[in-house]
Amino acid sequence: MASRVARIKKGGAPVGDTTGADAPGDPSIEGTGPDLLLSANGPQPQRDLPARAASNSLPDSDSTLLSLEHVRISYRLRRSVVEAVGDATFQMDRHERLMLIGPSGCGKSTLLKAVAGFIEPEGGTIRFDGRSDLTPGPDRAVVFQEFDQLFPWRTVIENVAYPLRVTGHERAEARQRAEFFLEMTGLAAAADRHPHELSGGMKQRVAIARALALEPAMLLMDEPFGSLDAITRVRLQGELKRIADRTRVAIFFVTHSILEALTLGDRIVVLGSPPSHVRTVVDVRELGGPTDPRYIEVQQHLHEQLGATDKDLSGVEL
Amino acid sequence: MSNSDATLANDKVSGADETGGDRRLWWRPPPTVRTPGSHHPLSWSKLPTLVRRLIVFAVLVAFWQMYMSVKHPNPLLFSGPAAAATAFVDGWRNGQIASATATTLEVLLIGMAIGLALGLVFTILATVSTVGKDFVMLMTAMLNPLPSIAILPLAIIWFGLNNNAMIFVIANAVAWPMAINMSTGFTTVNPTLLMAARNLGLRRWRMIKDVLLPAGLPFIMSGVKVSWAFGWRTVIAAELIFGTAGGSGGLGYYINTSQYFLKVPDVFAGLITIAIIGIAVEMLLNLFERRTVVRWGMQRA
Ligand SMILES: Nc1ncnc2c1ncn2[C@@H]1O[C@H](COP(=O)(O)OP(=O)(O)O)[C@@H](O)[C@H]1O
Ligand SMILES: [Mg+2]
Repeated sequence: MASRVARIKKGGAPVGDTTGADAPGDPSIEGTGPDLLLSANGPQPQRDLPARAASNSLPDSDSTLLSLEHVRISYRLRRSVVEAVGDATFQMDRHERLMLIGPSGCGKSTLLKAVAGFIEPEGGTIRFDGRSDLTPGPDRAVVFQEFDQLFPWRTVIENVAYPLRVTGHERAEARQRAEFFLEMTGLAAAADRHPHELSGGMKQRVAIARALALEPAMLLMDEPFGSLDAITRVRLQGELKRIADRTRVAIFFVTHSILEALTLGDRIVVLGSPPSHVRTVVDVRELGGPTDPRYIEVQQHLHEQLGATDKDLSGVEL
Repeated sequence: MSNSDATLANDKVSGADETGGDRRLWWRPPPTVRTPGSHHPLSWSKLPTLVRRLIVFAVLVAFWQMYMSVKHPNPLLFSGPAAAATAFVDGWRNGQIASATATTLEVLLIGMAIGLALGLVFTILATVSTVGKDFVMLMTAMLNPLPSIAILPLAIIWFGLNNNAMIFVIANAVAWPMAINMSTGFTTVNPTLLMAARNLGLRRWRMIKDVLLPAGLPFIMSGVKVSWAFGWRTVIAAELIFGTAGGSGGLGYYINTSQYFLKVPDVFAGLITIAIIGIAVEMLLNLFERRTVVRWGMQRA
């Protein structure tokens, strides 16, 4: 909570500030959060977002949000050492959507857990928002791949509201905000159900709503749609894209699907096989749709990079 | 047979896409298929639980009465259901069984409350520190297999011949199985859930109260059930051994004195009381489980 207060004190544009009209630290931001958050087109929830919604934001002065320098991570087993990440170096800007892609077992989840603060790197440094002593915290909200990341004993709305209570919101406000984000993720009707009464896709949406409600500086997502059927996956990708356009939350997204990376990402970081290093970084912001000839070129390039690193191309969807 | 065929045909229309659905129907037709007109044989598993249990109970009593009628055992040694029931009703009417039950339950509940609290404290100790873990592991390994009644002689020396000695023994009987089950509950919490909780910034007390305890509830509940059984046995055994404590005797004492005065029906009445309380507590715990872990999908009914 202390860090939260500290960051609010610094003042700054809300995460949801898509217009850029308000100056950083402008007190008028208070209470206008919801409008800013919803300024993009798309279906708009009826309810207003509580006033504090836009407060958990970062100063825009330094554009780099996350930087990894020569990060090396290995697991010590009883007899052996598994070198998962050999040397990872890359940066990520505020509001950026960075896709981390690589063959399975190359250390994507390991890197994500290190950024989340669950694993301490053996070598190198991870800087997030100027800090390098990272412990797990709600400023880097994680959506895990597994469905069982929700509290089974809490209803859907409680799953979203409870973390807000923990981070110091009043009961009524937490509930109001939970309702807002459930509506945004299309879960309003399921608010009073328990997680075991939901489908896999709905559970992942609750996890996303829970993470978004915390208004993190960065959303860490570890193959969140990996175990969903193709139709649900495409729908959730679209939803995530819309929400991210609205909130401008930075997203660190792990996937093993080239298509998913191209659909959702600003830039794509390709990891090689373990002990992995960054093989290539591709900026896909300028690309047009799948009909753009360069799109196909990039797709081909990514495919080669992944194919060259791992014979097992079957795990990579095109 | 025609009955089953009809069921099968019906399902082909409504849910034929379900693989293996056909075979499933042979033994459990979905409710939509059961039209009012179809005459299913009244099957045992479809009766309400209470009715099923009452029927089982009635059959047991019938066997008991049959034994009485056929064998005519010495009424000084054995009593029939009618005599036992009369003694039961009389015992409750004149307040003897009621006060004995109250005495026993009071000692038992205090002892169990202390034991459960100790179990919780030990588990938390073992969770937050390695020394605590070593201590709890050693203590449970030593004391859990020991029949708690075996420390009654020591307890009498320490506390005197009173309720405190019994409470101590019961707390000892309850604390260790509770600690074992609760630790299992804590250590088997899904690692993803734990990471999610830490990601939300949950630490220490909040982590224990809001994550570990509810997540470990299925194990905690089985700990409570085991503890209840241990505590109940221990209190009755202790009362049988040293009879009255502090002027008023419990159920064990009631059974013992009835036996002393050759009032066999009263002995049976005491045993029936114990059985009924056991059933009631079991029902209460099951109800609690249905409202919690079953409702949350953490345990099947
Ligand atoms: N807890 C762990 N203990 C030991 N080895 C692990 C552990 N987690 C991951 N690894 C190993 O580290 C490597 C990278 O794993 P991971 O980060 O999960 O890969 P990815 O997410 O890219 O599929 C793999 O070789 C895996 O076997
Ligand atoms: Mg992974």
